[in-house]
Amino acid sequence: MDDLSLERIDISGPTLASLIQRVSSSPGDVDGLIFGQIHRIVPSNLSDDSPADSVASSSSSSSGQLVATVTSFLCSGKTVSFYDPIGRVDSRRISSLGVDSPDRLIGWFSARRKTANRPSMRELAVTSSLSSQFQLPIEDLENPNSPANMASSVFFLLTTPSTEQLIHTHEYRAYQFRSSNRRVEPRSVAIVNIGPAFRGHYGTFSPKSGFPPLIYDLRSSAMNEDRDEGSLSAKKQALSDQKEIDALAEGLQVGYLKRLVGAEAANYTGGIEEMYERMLAKVESLASEVEQSSAKVFEQDNRNRKLRYRIARIGR
Amino acid sequence: MAFEGFPPLIADQLHYLLNHSPDSIKIENVCSGNKFNPKILDRFTLVIPYCLETIKWDVIYNSEYAMAPPDFIFGPDDEDFMPCSSVAPDDGQSLPLNKALSEWNNQDTARLLVLIQGLRDQYEIYQRRRVGQVDDDRVKFEISTVLTRKGIEMQMTSGVEKPEEVKFAVPLVMDMGINKLVAGCPWKHEQKIYLQVVYPILRKYESVPAAPRLKLVSSSDLKALFSVEDDVKLPPWMDGMCLAEYLPHLEETLERQILEAVSAIVFRRSFVEALALFLGRPLEADPTFCRKASFLAASGPFAFVVHFFFSSQFPKQQPALMLQSCQHLNQMSVPVKSNLLTEYPWSPRWEVGRMAERLCDFLIDEAANFKKYCNEALLQH
Repeated sequence: MDDLSLERIDISGPTLASLIQRVSSSPGDVDGLIFGQIHRIVPSNLSDDSPADSVASSSSSSSGQLVATVTSFLCSGKTVSFYDPIGRVDSRRISSLGVDSPDRLIGWFSARRKTANRPSMRELAVTSSLSSQFQLPIEDLENPNSPANMASSVFFLLTTPSTEQLIHTHEYRAYQFRSSNRRVEPRSVAIVNIGPAFRGHYGTFSPKSGFPPLIYDLRSSAMNEDRDEGSLSAKKQALSDQKEIDALAEGLQVGYLKRLVGAEAANYTGGIEEMYERMLAKVESLASEVEQSSAKVFEQDNRNRKLRYRIARIGR
Repeated sequence: MAFEGFPPLIADQLHYLLNHSPDSIKIENVCSGNKFNPKILDRFTLVIPYCLETIKWDVIYNSEYAMAPPDFIFGPDDEDFMPCSSVAPDDGQSLPLNKALSEWNNQDTARLLVLIQGLRDQYEIYQRRRVGQVDDDRVKFEISTVLTRKGIEMQMTSGVEKPEEVKFAVPLVMDMGINKLVAGCPWKHEQKIYLQVVYPILRKYESVPAAPRLKLVSSSDLKALFSVEDDVKLPPWMDGMCLAEYLPHLEETLERQILEAVSAIVFRRSFVEALALFLGRPLEADPTFCRKASFLAASGPFAFVVHFFFSSQFPKQQPALMLQSCQHLNQMSVPVKSNLLTEYPWSPRWEVGRMAERLCDFLIDEAANFKKYCNEALLQH
């Protein structure tokens, strides 16, 4: 595998904010995994100069730049979570953290308070070990038929300043591990937010969601009958997806929605409203359940901390 | 030093490290990374002597998981220093270090010391490799010729504002065993003398390498015997000289001077003993190095104490005297003292007995002056 260099690392504002929030609310140092994608983008270097120049420059940079986009993260709540004290990554411990999309793993982060903002001995070892074990595909919009992989080599370091006089309360830095010289190199971080200034970023930003594909009207249209002969498994998949959607809609089929328009509408609006009310009640009960369970998690967390302190003989 | 803020398991390891390390390690920047209990300390900086300078390593424990092994952050200039196995080339040298980390046992108080020593050994290898890569003919030659000497530490310093330099710390007169030469030696650690050699790295447009900067450094305890800064004059560094040529001559001089300093103790002791014939038993005397002695003296009813201070140049340089009255106190209730007296008849060629005799003659005269001085000091208030 080639040692490819990232041009920069993109992270959406909400992701970075929730990462900082998660880190600063934890009692001690934490680490975790970060997920996202690698894109190959063709830099737009159109200029008003003579066309010959611009053609030359665009052809020279036809390979494009690599940009890593961080879309989500998973915090372990402690340190030395998916690696051992010397920094060797254990893939079994990564799967035990509940990672459902290991093919989106682009790196990891470490957060520690009141320490210098450069990588530590163990962080270097973990970054190196992770990038030698995991890789993810590079998304290339220009020529999608040239599949290539890149090592999961991104490392985010979050610290707080060690002297209290400084105004800022958080520091973050991003690095990429290069296998050729066995070093981590700093990379610039671009924060992507929704808004006119970020339209350029969004051109290449394709967030992937875990929703099931919404296959609508497969059975109702007679025109589709021939095409659907394709494969049995695809059909089965479609059926199970449909069931999932039906369960969410409480038995109200999507097809009925067209009756909302026209003369019959008045008869059906009542039914729809009732469905929404039932759904809202469900959401509310779910919210209160979440609240109760997170209170329980918090209590258990405190109990665990007390036990840990007792083992470490703190506070006697 | 108090370690109350640390969790007990960490405090034990830190105690052991500071008390048992062969180098005198210091600790600073102690703080806590705990959000809910900021009084529980778990991170600090160790100041570790290396190559006659110090290096600072941050040690990070996690007070939430006090049983886990610590992590380290090295200096900003040492970003290539990666002693951990999965990164470092597998040369087998980092094995004990990896073992100490991966089989971490928080009950073993010696673990932190083992780690720090393992890391320091790795750091020495790393610095030696860096110095070996320097593109400078003189440094390459010096390394190849002094490599047979044991215990040389090297360091490469470079930076944006700092000039590139290679530093050597060469231990000298290792075989002498200075501690053994001193009777009743009070030193816990073996006393060592180092020569610090700093080579400026030749810039491309310079043709003649500048002479290296030389400095003798010793452990601070050695000053009681003799001071390498004041008593030793470094031989000059000739053009085109190399360390292998320079060192034997310097070591010869040093060895001779150390032996002289040791025999000077015997001479000082015999002088103090000779004084006792005239002044009686000393009130207080430094028994090991005989650098200080105090006697009680009297001139008629006026009683006073005489302090003797001996330089390492004794008997070439006469001892400095200070008189202290037993009967006069100034307004701060401190006994009145004379200034240091160094001007009195003296010859280094006299016998010890004669030295003592002449000195006591001088004291008899001086006692009258001192009494007058004391009375005047009292009258002023």
